[in-house]
Amino acid sequence: MKNQTVFRILVINPGSTTTKVALLENDKPVWSVTLEYAPERGSSSGGMLGQFDFRLRDVERVLDSKKTAISSLSAVAVRGGLFKPLEGGTYRIDEAVLDDVRHGRVQIEHASNLGVLLGDALAGSSGIPVFFIDPVSVDEFEPIARISGIPELERKSFVHALNIKATARVLAEKLGSDIHDLNLVGANLGGGISICAMNKGRIVDVNNAVEGGPFSPERAGSLPSNSLVRLCYSGRFTLDEMKKRLVGQGGLVAHLGTQDAREVEKRIGAGDAKAELIYRAMAYQIAKEIAAMAAVLSGKVDAVFLAGGLAHSALLTGWVRERVAFIAPVYVLPGEREMEALARGAMRVLRGEEKAKIYA
Amino acid sequence: MPRTFVILVINPGSTSTKVALFENEKEVFSKTIAHAPADLAPFKRMADQYDMRLNIIEKTLQSGGVNLKSIDAVMGRGGLLKPVLGGVYAVNACMLEDLRRAERGEHASNLGALIADAFAQKNGVPAYIADPVVVDEMDPMAKVTGIPEIERRSIFHALNQKAVAGKVCAELGLRYGGARLIVAHLGGGISVGAHRSGRVVDVNNALDGDGPFSPERAGSIPAGQLAALCFSGDLTLADVKKRLTGRGGLVAHLGTNDIRVIEEKIRNGDERARLVLDAMIYQIAKHIGAAAVVLDGKVDAIAVSGGLAMDESLVMKLKSKVGWIAKVMVYPGEEEMHALALGALDVLNRRVQPGVYA
Repeated sequence: MKNQTVFRILVINPGSTTTKVALLENDKPVWSVTLEYAPERGSSSGGMLGQFDFRLRDVERVLDSKKTAISSLSAVAVRGGLFKPLEGGTYRIDEAVLDDVRHGRVQIEHASNLGVLLGDALAGSSGIPVFFIDPVSVDEFEPIARISGIPELERKSFVHALNIKATARVLAEKLGSDIHDLNLVGANLGGGISICAMNKGRIVDVNNAVEGGPFSPERAGSLPSNSLVRLCYSGRFTLDEMKKRLVGQGGLVAHLGTQDAREVEKRIGAGDAKAELIYRAMAYQIAKEIAAMAAVLSGKVDAVFLAGGLAHSALLTGWVRERVAFIAPVYVLPGEREMEALARGAMRVLRGEEKAKIYA
Repeated sequence: MPRTFVILVINPGSTSTKVALFENEKEVFSKTIAHAPADLAPFKRMADQYDMRLNIIEKTLQSGGVNLKSIDAVMGRGGLLKPVLGGVYAVNACMLEDLRRAERGEHASNLGALIADAFAQKNGVPAYIADPVVVDEMDPMAKVTGIPEIERRSIFHALNQKAVAGKVCAELGLRYGGARLIVAHLGGGISVGAHRSGRVVDVNNALDGDGPFSPERAGSIPAGQLAALCFSGDLTLADVKKRLTGRGGLVAHLGTNDIRVIEEKIRNGDERARLVLDAMIYQIAKHIGAAAVVLDGKVDAIAVSGGLAMDESLVMKLKSKVGWIAKVMVYPGEEEMHALALGALDVLNRRVQPGVYA
């Protein structure tokens, strides 16, 4: 047996309308709290950084009520944001990342960027290590994956890296293997959809859920370029409106008026042919993207896995499975395991299984 | 002894018109008539070029000693018509009217049926077109995108895709109606089609900027970045269109759309050229993978065709990426004239009934 020490890890995961806070002992949750925020509070003056103060106070109040002292912790693990492109892993929070976030040197403003600031403020001068793990800006692309047909518009890596990598580890364990010995195609099916090719643990290509790939409950995915351009020049939309049609108001919600897959399935059950066509089309595009990623790996794929909230749908995963089963065995591992994934990322470093990476 | 049919084939392109005479499958006369930009400049609409092109074709046939008395049919390249199923169509009044109006776009191929009809009338024989670019056999599900008013439309290299599929079936002893094939047409534009039950049920629309980038086209582009470019204020609609079609893809990255020049650069150690060409192959491979899903992974063969299929190194790299799906068969080049003649022969030999365009 390796180290038997019990690690107490505080996990903080800020999303656009929530902050999830949890205490884990090793990977077992001791308590967890979800702080909810009305969407308009997010758009209050001061932008994302303007939310820092009240989010910090709310987390501190939770710690007080749970009688969890910072000094009792082994580490703090926070969600990483849309920082500069980074390879996957567990990063020790340092001045460089804090400075980039404070000065807006991030790829996209998003609540997840606040994680490092919150973690750092909570740890204060306690000396407790603070980590962020597998942020959305994980970039392990091969150069070949970056090129598009317009030189200045590079394909970029944005990916649900935390959940995908954590799910890949769960699957590897199940297969009695290690992610560094496997080639996987992983799909994170949520409000946005990320489908990636994982070559020995590295995400060498992904559709980038804000720029392309299958359409999803809230996003438009890939579009024929000329048609998109004509729409942009039609004079009917501003850039902001177009962006919303691509991310937020595209995909299922644009066709069916709801992004709730359960509602869509209810309609299909009641015989709504349009709902069925659109939902099937989404599954079809997911399957096509999975096979495209299998081609990236030259067909050498040990397993395909479907994760994320939408993977709870037996209907959707059934349709996808039918179409991609020829590639490799398909595993459905539904849900998000972000909090646990963050704790485990910190533990791998605390146990000395991995070295913490340096941001700068 | 089966009889020999004589077929006149007319294929108008943007800067040239190809004419050929076939005796059954054998080409006995062929000529490519180049049209200088200055000769085309006076014409506002494509249909206005009709008399000019007709006259020059007549002269070319005369001086080539082609006897039109013996022809059995005239076959023209199909144009931008209403969506139709694949196959051979008899030229009729409705078709000619649509091509003159050109409501679905101006393209030189619109002249194919018009000119074929003129020769057919004069000689008292039927005129046909075959597999125009508007062939639409796409599954409704394949047309859906994430923005309701943008639909994926089926516009592609149908003539060559179908001709190549026919060759694969002949070689493998399959019936096209029962075969499951992926055909990749690799030319100035690239289309990857999934053929099932005799239909191309999914294909990327190279003209609409869908699919892999190609020697002259940008293909699929990250949507958010593309929208931002459109709203940057730096570019007009015409500018952006040019970046997508004509000045996109290999030519945008490397200043040339000529694959032989690019391979030469690579041989001389140009790493940028290697990376960009490899990226194009990579995107083609991803689309072939996606097409395999359309066929549920049961694929009889992958066929690679078009001008780029003459590049052996390119084909080899592509094979290494997609060979796991099915065997890869290579049909370099594009034999449009031959494919058109075969379409007419099928009708003359009563193997198929020509479709009626309405």
